[in-house]
Amino acid sequence: MFREFAKGLSITLKHLLPGHSTTVQYPKERLPLAPRFRGLHRLVPTQTREKCVACYLCPTVCPAKCITVESGENAQGEKYPKVYKIDLLRCIFCGYCVEACPVEALEMSDQYELANFKREDFNFEKERLLR
Amino acid sequence: MVNLTIDGKEIQVSKTATIYQAAKEAGIYIPVLCYAKKLLPYGACRVCLVEVEQMKGRLIPSCTTPVTQGMIVNTMSAEIRKVRKTVLEFLLVNHVVECPVCDKGGECDLQDLTYEYEVVTNRFEGEKFDLPKDEVNPLLERNMNRCVLCGKCVRVCDEVVGFGSYSFINRGFETKIATAYDRGLDCEFCGQCVSMCPVGAILPRPFKFKARPWQLKEVNSVCGYCGNGCTVTFGTKDNEVQTIRFNDNTGVNDGNLCVRGRFGYSYVNSKERLTVPLIRVEGELVETTWDTALAKVTEGFRTAGSQLGIISGARLANEELYLLKSLAGAVGTGNLDHSGGECYKGLTEGLQPTLGLQASTATFPQVEKADAILVIRNDFYETHPVFGMVINQAVKRNDAQLSVITDKKGKLTRMPHARALLHKPGLEVNLLNALCRSLLDEGLAKIEGLQGLNEFQESLEAYAVEAVATATGVAADAIRQTARELAEAGNAAIILGYGLPYTAQSRELGIAAANLALLTGIAGRQGSGLYLCGEKSNSQGAIDLQILPATGAMGVGAMLQAAAANKLQALYIAGEDPLASYPDRALTEKALNKSPFVVVQDLFLTETAKQADVVLPAASFAEKTGTFTNAERRIQRLLPGIKSPGQAKSDFAIFQALLAGFGASAPANENEAFAALAAVTPGYEMVNLAMIGAQGYVWGGETLVPETRNLVPVAGNKELKARFQLLVGSCLYHSGTTSLHASGPMSVVSEPYIEFGREDAAELKITDEQQVKIKAAGGEITAKAKVDRRLPKGVLFAPYHFSSLGLNRIYQGQAAIAVEVSK
Repeated sequence: MFREFAKGLSITLKHLLPGHSTTVQYPKERLPLAPRFRGLHRLVPTQTREKCVACYLCPTVCPAKCITVESGENAQGEKYPKVYKIDLLRCIFCGYCVEACPVEALEMSDQYELANFKREDFNFEKERLLR
Repeated sequence: MVNLTIDGKEIQVSKTATIYQAAKEAGIYIPVLCYAKKLLPYGACRVCLVEVEQMKGRLIPSCTTPVTQGMIVNTMSAEIRKVRKTVLEFLLVNHVVECPVCDKGGECDLQDLTYEYEVVTNRFEGEKFDLPKDEVNPLLERNMNRCVLCGKCVRVCDEVVGFGSYSFINRGFETKIATAYDRGLDCEFCGQCVSMCPVGAILPRPFKFKARPWQLKEVNSVCGYCGNGCTVTFGTKDNEVQTIRFNDNTGVNDGNLCVRGRFGYSYVNSKERLTVPLIRVEGELVETTWDTALAKVTEGFRTAGSQLGIISGARLANEELYLLKSLAGAVGTGNLDHSGGECYKGLTEGLQPTLGLQASTATFPQVEKADAILVIRNDFYETHPVFGMVINQAVKRNDAQLSVITDKKGKLTRMPHARALLHKPGLEVNLLNALCRSLLDEGLAKIEGLQGLNEFQESLEAYAVEAVATATGVAADAIRQTARELAEAGNAAIILGYGLPYTAQSRELGIAAANLALLTGIAGRQGSGLYLCGEKSNSQGAIDLQILPATGAMGVGAMLQAAAANKLQALYIAGEDPLASYPDRALTEKALNKSPFVVVQDLFLTETAKQADVVLPAASFAEKTGTFTNAERRIQRLLPGIKSPGQAKSDFAIFQALLAGFGASAPANENEAFAALAAVTPGYEMVNLAMIGAQGYVWGGETLVPETRNLVPVAGNKELKARFQLLVGSCLYHSGTTSLHASGPMSVVSEPYIEFGREDAAELKITDEQQVKIKAAGGEITAKAKVDRRLPKGVLFAPYHFSSLGLNRIYQGQAAIAVEVSK
């Protein structure tokens, strides 16, 4: 029995030796993200406007009901999102919105540092999402 | 009946059915794009192909193929699926796939089928349509790039609306739906094409980019405009009625609507709605609380007692009218009336002494099967457009002979082989008398069981056909022929509308029409009917509930006279704008000025409301529960789609509060009120809310048999001798004054006009849009001219909806006004 103890503890102790730690010194060090990591949303811009055509598929598919879209008609007679808002406090980062988007206007960036001080700051309006 | 088998299921259907209809009846699904229940089979899309055992070797379009005895139909097989998929692929070759921005996305038939048949790739390649997007008009947006050429819009516009705006033009790939000479649309804007389009090629512009179909909550209710009582389905979101959805499963209108019903809803969302009660303090209307306002009203009414005059509109629900009547009783006044007190007399004083009824004798759908139809006044299409569409279908589909007694041409006289009895203004009764005379002279009259025949015959001495023909300007033969057709038809209909602009001779017209209905045997006969249709959504309900002056009490006219002479203590005006819409504005003005206490209950701060001492904000039809009774006696339920803005309350709640103020008990809710009113209203005794289903409930049954059969002599009118005669009437795009707050109708007809016939316009050198002055006994009015070809020489027309025109300064309820025209 003692041998088994020693064997198990040796593995544990090995991890205590320098160079064996898996802890990352965040924020000085960061781990590489998976290629399909789902961070903060980003609305994709085109030359003149946002790519989004306000088709309402993302608010429809959103299980957390955190996306608000209001469509409008711009000067060219095109459909565009007058309002596009994501309430990040409700968002569960499932990525369905990105999957549903028929025009690839929405993507999820690798930004995950989203902590903030005020509730209002979690409301991401169109301008903020277009960055 | 025919027996056939569809997908192994034994089915029995009528022998006129098509395979598609038989399958549908049996609950078997066959996809379609170009089929619509109310249109004739067409077979354009080829999506509904099925296999028929007896016709092996090719696939059969189920929507156009009639059933035959012993037919064995297979609606799905690997081959059918492949062919349907190919059809869809062909359609998608040129169809621009812009579902994300297309408002049809989510309820698009093509989208649904593409999904169902998993058309993810296309084996064919071809050019996409790149046609310019119409449209300059404010209501219908046409994008022919999305069109699948099913032809539904073409067919509905022709078969149902009878307008024929659209047609296919060009060939092959270039085929498209277009208007004459491919110009912009200039039509009735009823939007039937919108409701029929299976894809996003024709869309309602007011709803453009507003919401997705799946976000809308659907509520079935009844249109609040005219007495036709079409059911409408609100699509609501964010406490606003966003659009009117297509629904052909409820009501009698088959999903048909007019411009007002489809695009006139927007006034309920208007920012101008009254949201708080107003009270007059030192000459100014200021906002107040409900308690203060109601206390003031109760006090005012109590002081007035029997000196209170109550004027109601005909757009209140039955339950509300019932409470209003109770309120009149609680206050102790018999001065209760509605709709100007004059225009409905055709029912109360016309049909009552003759037929012993106060309602139309039959229902609208029966007219579709009529062989002969007589419409009195071409304006009927303007006041009741959807009933007008039933007449269209009777003429176009069943070859009914339509005759129109009218002083101007218009939609109905343009129908195929319609006979226009185009008479000089104001002589409708003379013509009706001549029709009766012709029947009696030719021995075609069905005189059995009729009372007062001798006296009636004597009264017709002066109405010999030839004499009337000369006096009215109608051909004698046309009169005789019309009389013959009406008498000989198996099913016939006599149709007359009434409303505020048609107060002249309303009683006489009712009697004359009833006389003719008796002599032709139309009254009370199965399949035939005499229709007297009210202008407003609950005109018939107001008559049924007897919102009429009590014996010895004053009607609207007398009330206004009394108020003007300082003999009335208070006026209570609910849901009506007398200043804008009643004839004789001077009298109304004087009455409102002289009356010590005026309460107005309305949606908007109307001109009348501006004169009031207390203004109570009420709820629109889209915000209330209740029932309307339409012009064919159909009781239909209203359901609230949205909440009232601000503190506005339903008329029901206001009446309840007032009744409480008088210590009278009131039903707790609308359902109890209906039970209470049904118990005391003749015809409603057996009706309860559970009986009012999707198609409503017609009190008195499909055919109402006359209680009495009295012929009552009625005098005609004398021709007005004047070079120019102005007719007052309703225009298609508006109903009453409410539609002036709705952006849809206002975008088509936004300002008042005076209509001229071409001849007169040429003689007076008046062109469209030119300002003209019309001088008459009561004053002078100025408006833009509109030149059309509807009017005969010497006749002008003005719609009554716009109070800015001041038409009721010169209109005192006469049939035609003698006027002078200057530029």
